[in-house]
Formats: sequence, C-alpha cells, structure tokens
Amino acid sequence: MSLNANSADIAFTFKGGMLPMTVMELSSADPEHIRCQLSGKLSQSPAFFQHTPVVLSVEKLDEPHLALERICAVCRDHKLLPVAVRGGAEPVRQSAWALGLGWFAPVEEGRSKILESVNSSTATDAANEEPEPVEQVGTAATRLFRGTVRSGQQVSAAEGDLIVIGAVNAGAEVLAAGSIHIYGALRGRALAGIHGNTQSGIYCRELEAELLSVAGNYKRLEDIDSQLLGRAAEVHFAQEQLEIKPLV
Amino acid sequence: MAKIIVVTSGKGGVGKTTSAAAISTGLALRGKKTVVIDFDVGLRNLDLIMGCERRVVYDLVNVIQGEAGLNQALIRDKRVENLFILPASQTRDKDALTQEGVERILEQLKQDFDFIMCDSPAGIERGAQLAMYFADEAIVVTNPEVSSVRDSDRILGLLGSKTRRAEQSLDPVKEHLLITRYNPSRVTSGDMLTLDDIREILSIDLLGLIPESEAVLRASNQGVPVTHDAASDAGQAYTDTVSRLLGEDMPLRFHEVQRKGLLNRMFGGSRR
Repeated sequence: MSLNANSADIAFTFKGGMLPMTVMELSSADPEHIRCQLSGKLSQSPAFFQHTPVVLSVEKLDEPHLALERICAVCRDHKLLPVAVRGGAEPVRQSAWALGLGWFAPVEEGRSKILESVNSSTATDAANEEPEPVEQVGTAATRLFRGTVRSGQQVSAAEGDLIVIGAVNAGAEVLAAGSIHIYGALRGRALAGIHGNTQSGIYCRELEAELLSVAGNYKRLEDIDSQLLGRAAEVHFAQEQLEIKPLV
Repeated sequence: MAKIIVVTSGKGGVGKTTSAAAISTGLALRGKKTVVIDFDVGLRNLDLIMGCERRVVYDLVNVIQGEAGLNQALIRDKRVENLFILPASQTRDKDALTQEGVERILEQLKQDFDFIMCDSPAGIERGAQLAMYFADEAIVVTNPEVSSVRDSDRILGLLGSKTRRAEQSLDPVKEHLLITRYNPSRVTSGDMLTLDDIREILSIDLLGLIPESEAVLRASNQGVPVTHDAASDAGQAYTDTVSRLLGEDMPLRFHEVQRKGLLNRMFGGSRR
C-alpha cells in the first residue's frame, strides 16, 4: 500500500475552513430559563430556527458543573443543533465530549461579538403572512420574489440569498442567511446574514431603508448618511461596522 | 356573472363608505343592477350616506342568523332603479358575522345582481377580512398622506394572502387604487403626497382620483351620494371612476391646479 494513493481512490481531503457559526452565549445555566426564552424567540423569528448549528458558549457562566445534556435537549426541541461547547472547566469539557460535541478553548476578551440580529432587530410584531410567489432559483438555497413586498409582510431565505424583483415597502421585512438583492426601492427592513455570515451584503436600487443589518450589526434610517438616501447602494460589514456605499 | 367588489383601505376616515355609495350609485345609473353591503357591524354609516336610515328594518346580521330573509333586509334605493342597500347592524358586533353566513348571502345575491359592493370597516380585523374574503376585485381607497398609504399597502398584502382567491390559488383579486381628498394646490405646496408618489409606492392601477370637495361633505350630510351632484367636481370624478370600472378609457381630471379666470377670481367662483 502506498501512501500516494491516486486521486480516484481518495475518500476525502482535509481542508481548513471558516464557516459562519452562531454562538449562543449562556448567561443562565437553568435549562427551563433557557427554554422560556427560546420559545419566545421561536415565535418571533421562526426563519432562524431551521436546525441551525450553534456553539454553546459557557464562558460567562461560573459553574464547574452544567446540566449540559438537558440544555442540549432544550436547544434541539427548538430546532437548534448544538455542535460544540466553548469555554468552561474540565468537567464541562468531559461532558461535552461524552455527548459527542466538540470543545473550544475560551476566546480572549473582546473578540467575540454577540449576534444580535435575531435577538433584537427582527423582534417585530409577528409578520406571518408570507406572500405567495417565492421561487427557488440558482442554487437550492437562493430564493426569488417577484412583486412588491408590502407592509406587514416578511420574506426570508433561511439558507441562502434572497432576490426581490420589486420594492420592499415601509413596514415590510426581508431576511436572508446570505445576501439580499433588491431590484427596486428598499423602504422597509433588510437583514442579511441572519445566521452570522459577515460576508453577506445588501444591494438595492433605491435606499430608503428603515433598518439595515448584516450579521446582526445594524443601522437605522436615522443613522444613515442622508447623502446616500434615494440612491442605489450596497451595504457590507467591514472594519467592525456597517459600511454603506453608493452602488456604481 | 356577478362581480364582488370590496371597498377597503385599512385606515379609517379616508372615504370608503362615501366611495362605496358613490360608485354603487354610478353603476346603477349606468343600468347595472347593484347591491351595496355595509360590513361595518356596530358602526353602521352606509344607510346614512345613502339616505335610507329611516327605512332599515332588518340587517346583515339578521339575515346571517336566519332571523330575516334576504329580500326583507334589502332596501330599494328611492332615487335610482337597480340599486339596493343591505345595511349593517348597529347593535351587534363584528363577531356576529360568520364566513359561512357571508358566503351564503353573497351566493344568493350573485343570482340577481351584476355588482355586489362590500363596504369594508376600517382596520384589518375580522370585519375587514370577511368583507374582502370573497372579493373578485378590490378598490383600495387612499388619501394623499403617509399613514393612509402605509395602511393601504398593508391591505394590499392581505388581499394577496387572506382572500379566497389567494387561498385557493385562483386568479388574484384585481386591485384598483382610488385616491380621495386630493387637493392639487396642497400637493404643490408639499403638504400632501403627489399622485406619482402614491402610485410608485403602491404600484397598482389607478382607478380614479377624487378631488377634495365641499360637495362630498354636503352629500354625506344630505344622504344623497355625490354622484347625483353632476355639477360638482367630485360627482364628475366618481362618474369617471365608474366608467373606468366598466372598462372605459377616461382621461384623468382634477389632478392639476386649476388656474382661475379673471371673472372667477372677481366673483369668487367656489368649487362645487
């Protein structure tokens, strides 16, 4: 057996990868407390809870022993998939491994950003009448919506990009795990990278947005430079903040 | 085939009932057999605008609950042939309306009428949803102001998702925009949204534009739909609107500031 197996025989290759990941930073170790809050969030933003992988961060907790198994069960009940634990003492590490989860060393102070998109900015009044004509295009995860997204409506692409051919009116909300492309005026709320993908962006033909968010970093209409309003624009996350540029 | 048309807006006080009365009257004047139903149970107004409040015996809720027959509750208009009014109840609330009951009445009315106009209550609750549920077409009444446009946008979303046509994936409800209380000089001075602004945001076809007019208030208080006031700007604008609803091509009027002639200025010709 040679180590230099030819390519047809290769079962896999190891590759380094940086994947966007939602960190669930626990400030309580009580599974019931966590369950209460998750139930509330689930009804507010059902699009977020699609077997979303999460890393449980226990760095803020000062408890050597955790009911990790019960916490994981609560998460799975709400369609969140814990894949690893970050931080905690040796017993936490051992029980994470016992549960088949990975373990990450705690990160230094100031490096982690709390993903806020699901916590605060999408917490609007339940907009549950999603309009009909949403199509699947391109890769399976991309969604295409033709027409005007009207006040009170919510259109989301839980896994990929969202393309809107039409306007997003004031009081409407569009969400995507990836980027949002609007071939029309954006007058409502647009939240890209809802699972934390900081590489995602928002593109529109006319910027009048109530709220813009990329991976939880948001700007409200009154934070947006008025020079940019009414023009075609692109929005990205760069240097730890939202950057809005005219689209040329 | 009878057409069911809902007159709706989301926001209150924009002119739904006035428009439902005026358009129904206009359709009847054109020889179409028309019935107009007041869905605003608990706050009935249509009978006042139509001038038949003293002739109400039975109402929509009585018919739904089987306490009266449809023909007992229908009121024949005194001015125009072919026009009937089905009033709302003032003493009940909107929970007295049921979807099955409304459907039964509409099916019955379809046998006899060309047009069934449903005058929706304000809001997006049960009464408004029932008024729109069975509609074939919708007239969305909007004033040239931001909150009214926002609410109309919301209603358009509901028309696309919470109606029978949407739920059963039939052809969508045909949506028409009716702008009321339009005052061209206040638009020019920037107090009101422009016609183009409203059309751009709502992006549906314009059915009509009714100028702000003293004739409308006068008509409401006298209980005579403004369509009968053929000399008034609002009356003419509603007549144009009815023609467009019947598929005719009418040029848009009353959307620009009228220059007053010398005589007009000297003798203060009032807008009537």
